[in-house]
Amino acid sequence: MIEFQNVSKWFGALQVLRDVNATVAKGTTTVLCGPSGSGKSTLIRTVNRLEPIQKGQITLAGRDIYAKDVDVNVLRSGIGFVFQQFNLFPHLSVVENVMLPLLRIRERSRAQARPVAMQMLERVGLADKANSLPADISGGQSQRVAIARSLILKPEVLVLDEPTSALDPEMVGEVLKLLRELSADGITMMCVTHEMGFAREVADRIWFLRNGTLTFDAEPAQFFSDEAHQDVRNFLSAVRKNH
Amino acid sequence: MLEIIQEYWLLLLIGEYPHGKLGGLAMTLIISFVSLIVTFPCAVLIALARTGKPGIIQTIANGFVHSVRAIPLLMLIFWAYFALPMIIGFPIDAVFTLIVAIVIYQTAYLGEIIAAGIVGLPKGQREAAAALGLGYIPTTFKVILPQAIFNVIPGIVNQLTTIIKESSLGSIIAVSELSYVMLQVNSNEVTKPLQIFGILAAVYFVLCFSLSQATNWLERRISARRTGQVIVEAVA
Repeated sequence: MIEFQNVSKWFGALQVLRDVNATVAKGTTTVLCGPSGSGKSTLIRTVNRLEPIQKGQITLAGRDIYAKDVDVNVLRSGIGFVFQQFNLFPHLSVVENVMLPLLRIRERSRAQARPVAMQMLERVGLADKANSLPADISGGQSQRVAIARSLILKPEVLVLDEPTSALDPEMVGEVLKLLRELSADGITMMCVTHEMGFAREVADRIWFLRNGTLTFDAEPAQFFSDEAHQDVRNFLSAVRKNH
Repeated sequence: MLEIIQEYWLLLLIGEYPHGKLGGLAMTLIISFVSLIVTFPCAVLIALARTGKPGIIQTIANGFVHSVRAIPLLMLIFWAYFALPMIIGFPIDAVFTLIVAIVIYQTAYLGEIIAAGIVGLPKGQREAAAALGLGYIPTTFKVILPQAIFNVIPGIVNQLTTIIKESSLGSIIAVSELSYVMLQVNSNEVTKPLQIFGILAAVYFVLCFSLSQATNWLERRISARRTGQVIVEAVA
């Protein structure tokens, strides 16, 4: 589904991704973890070209996403992207946030778009907050709205950049519950997270990055076993100490 | 002072209308609001050019803003009123000249205010729009500008008070606005400049102070809305 071939990226003189080679199979959930600054977020941001790469190739469903005939907006509308800080549009109500891609990309009328958006809000359990402004809902609810907005165009891939890191602990559960449901529905998902319980339960593959290098790519059983790479064991030990 | 108001109140309000040209306070308000309405879209375009991708359009916009901010409005009015007719070969209406000069001048300043609103938005807003697959037009007009303009409403209203004060420069080129009318009254009543210009100052003060109060009220509402507070209006 998504294939990274020798993907490298530099910010100025600093190399942040080093020859990443990996594949995300269709309908699977891949969790990316690793210490801060390891390149996890940068790597997932390359999938919809929010970050351009300087070397290598990324293909989505067999198609090079940097091919000249690829319309970047069409590419992005087929990949749902969820940010750590939600990035809801504060001047629009919850339902308007979810409707916006339907109105402006699919060119649906408001009468057509609203029921679809309401259906999506019901799916994330927030239909009763449809007319609220983002400032009036909690962090967990905001992230669920952001997920609803990212799914409204029925993307084949959902990419999430630390979706629970900005949430209070009591709100993490509601977002993870939704992500579990989405994973079970069979959407192709890439998720950067430090929630190792979630990774163990939901992920089909776990990638570990360090200094821009993908050092370990394994199934959860292997990732959490003693067979894991020393870097992974050190990381997991540090995560356990902090929780 | 009261006798001056009693004698000249109609002239002060509407000039010589309906027997002559509309003028006075009505003309000041018309010039101010027309100028603001025409300035606004021009300023938005300048702001978008200034904050957009580097290139020829941004260079032109930068040149325009820096040039206009480096010259006094009065010189712009003189150029438009005295020099431009010589270049184009026919006279230009004084009111039109004044409005054009104010629009050019204020486009530079209002453009900077709106540009500040655009630059001040969190980077994530533009990224979220991009990640959804929204193009430049919907991102600009549905995501960026509504927030940027909303955030700088106080600055925009403040520019309106500046425009009202700048419209008094029309008296130099015989535009029959409030200051010009009061100069005429002063010519009739030669011995009462203190009262006449006192009235003029009071009218400008009431106009501009009311707008400043409206700005304060708007700021409070914006601040409350951003933090999700409910505004409770005082009930008498």
